[in-house]
Amino acid sequence: MALLQISEPGKSTMPHEHRRVIGIDLGTTNSLVASVISGSPTILNPNDNSNLLPSIVHYTKESVLVGNDAKNLLSKDPKNTISSAKRLIGKTISDINQDHFSLNLADGDGVINIKTSIGMKNPIEVSAEILKTLKSVAEKNLGGELMGAVVTVPAYFDDAQRQATKDACELAGLNVLRLINEPTAAAVAYGLDKKSMGHFVVFDLGGGTFDVSILNLSKGLFEVLATHGDANLGGDDFDQAIVNFLNDKYQFKVKDIEVQALVSILAREIKESLSTKNEVVIEEKISDIEIKETFTQEQFKTLVQDLIEQTLKATKSALSDAQLNNDQIDGIIMVGGSTRMPCIQEAVKNLFKKELLNDLNPDEVVALGAATQANILAGNGEEDLLLLDVTPLSLGIETMGSIVERIIPRNTTLPVAMAQEFTTYKDGQTAMIIHVVQGERELVDDCRSLAKFTLKKIPPMVAGAAKIKVTFQVDTDGLLSVSAEETTTNAKASIEVKPSYGLSEDKIKTMLQSSFDLAEEDKNSRMLAETKIEAIQLIELTQKALDTDNDLLSESEFNSIKKDLSALIDSIKSSNNDKIKEANKKLNAQSESFAAKRMDRSIQKALTGKSINKLEF
Amino acid sequence: MTQNYFELFNLPEKFQIDLEMLQENYRAIQKEIHPDRFATSSENEKVQSMIKSTQANDGYQTLKSPIKRAKYILSLHKSVEKITLPPDFLMQQMEWEEHFETIEKNSSELIEFKSTINKKYEEYFLLISTQIDHDQNWSDAAISIDKLYFIEKLLHKINNALS
Repeated sequence: MALLQISEPGKSTMPHEHRRVIGIDLGTTNSLVASVISGSPTILNPNDNSNLLPSIVHYTKESVLVGNDAKNLLSKDPKNTISSAKRLIGKTISDINQDHFSLNLADGDGVINIKTSIGMKNPIEVSAEILKTLKSVAEKNLGGELMGAVVTVPAYFDDAQRQATKDACELAGLNVLRLINEPTAAAVAYGLDKKSMGHFVVFDLGGGTFDVSILNLSKGLFEVLATHGDANLGGDDFDQAIVNFLNDKYQFKVKDIEVQALVSILAREIKESLSTKNEVVIEEKISDIEIKETFTQEQFKTLVQDLIEQTLKATKSALSDAQLNNDQIDGIIMVGGSTRMPCIQEAVKNLFKKELLNDLNPDEVVALGAATQANILAGNGEEDLLLLDVTPLSLGIETMGSIVERIIPRNTTLPVAMAQEFTTYKDGQTAMIIHVVQGERELVDDCRSLAKFTLKKIPPMVAGAAKIKVTFQVDTDGLLSVSAEETTTNAKASIEVKPSYGLSEDKIKTMLQSSFDLAEEDKNSRMLAETKIEAIQLIELTQKALDTDNDLLSESEFNSIKKDLSALIDSIKSSNNDKIKEANKKLNAQSESFAAKRMDRSIQKALTGKSINKLEF
Repeated sequence: MTQNYFELFNLPEKFQIDLEMLQENYRAIQKEIHPDRFATSSENEKVQSMIKSTQANDGYQTLKSPIKRAKYILSLHKSVEKITLPPDFLMQQMEWEEHFETIEKNSSELIEFKSTINKKYEEYFLLISTQIDHDQNWSDAAISIDKLYFIEKLLHKINNALS
């Protein structure tokens, strides 16, 4: 069969050809992008002097600045300079303590709005600016358009935060191959680099988030056994402890954003100096107040003792969930810039009575692992590695008395689907409110509310007779979808929801359109190119499947697929977007059961292949 | 193809199974059909791999846990009915609970109590294997499973009080 030779940069359809893919660590303080180049994961430089892009965005009428240029304006123009957007993403105004942000924040529709001089910006848009910058860095370095990206999120991010991060990627024009958890990415980088095997703890303290994961590393398989953490605990809080101390002692105006921005910068400098020195002498002036202070390691440790305790407590919980003792741990991987603090290293070392693994740069290891995973997902790599990750937090629904009924417990391996049956409590009840929550607490109010929807058209019955089956599904990105149906009657009332936080699909579309600002013609030709690539991919995959597995099909099934395949090939020549899409859809539908049969065959192969091996050895 | 979880993992339909073989086969299947293997495939294949991978995860969790495994075997053979535990076991249950409340955390008495309950666990575990694998007496097995469930929960509480 002669295939059409349409090849788009970065989207080569030839299976053996290298696909341009990247890994992104979207951090609270700094962000990084990496890619596997000539077999080794490499950080791509966003600027001349550093691998890190500060996660800071500055807005003016004329321009949007990202990274160091924005960082330089942090003290001069704090209101329009947005840092730590990751602490706001996927949240509402009631979830946060506004005193911790030198920004003007307001309640948006499902998001937090940040007031800037050019209008409201939300954390998704801010993150998208950072992602866009990283994307263009990668495209420049790799010499062409990207096929996709693996983007990391804290393991302890809830569903709303994950969804919001994915939205930001879409807004930045990135094709997300997978969201993966930061500690898991770090384990990939370490595990492959050092060929490690056994039980590992990844202790990941970043700028704004803390994760701890317990993994079992074996050849070709990295299994997360348990994860714990705090999505609101990071280096920023250690800065804040110093800020509070300085505010107390020197009586700085807490409500003055300019002054507080300066105090924050000073606090961070003190903390960073204490990572390499035992004491630091401060002589500075902020808003006419003289600061004279000798800060010692011991003094700092006292200020942050509670924070350290929190990280240790989470680590112990994760161990207990993994059903392991301290002495069963083969290695501790330290990740995140904040693990440079001597007090943290000491505390973790004491807990495990073991030396720590920190020979890979703790700032870079997550991005490097993400790049490796992107390479594997794209089918570029030689590496034979599969990650099995888990849900960090339990998922459930509200029942009578505001009690949470758990449907998926935390630390369940992904992907997962679980269902629970509920019933009506009133005679003739025809609707039911389903409130989806995430968290470990018993009461709804103590958990994170993700979505609320109503299942309607339940046939009227006596109380308790209806059977409402609620199904939760979490995919490999850790994203939840929920469906509900009444199962006793044929009249199926069913509904499918995505959690309600963050941006609606429509809103993203509008934002996307306005951000591209493309002429109608450009947009159409771009769309057509994408449709064609998709079609060609499907043609090749189908052709390959028919070549290898045609014995799974009856003659008529084979001919039907063949017919729709030719139709799709013909449709490409037409250059009619709708026509190609239609043909694509038809072929997909036609070969659905073929795909299922092929998957079953893979399972058979996996097991028989193995038992033959067993006989041989 | 509809297959039960024992067929999926190529294991005999028994309560006593080779857990190592289960894990090995589970891993082999995931390596083959996990969605990460189909990140750049067609929509159909993505959906199918998601479905199969989800099944493999559920199957693994079901067969790994003795209680879930036993219940699963029963569900393949008889419809689930409400079970009432015999009064003597309920009495025993209350005795254990009361005794547990009186013991101090991390005491040697608690360790002793744990070993008593552990023995009970093993006892019922063996009983269930006979009832399922040998006698195929599903009704009696159902009662034993409920007892084992209670014992497992109690052991969990003891372990929490010990750490």
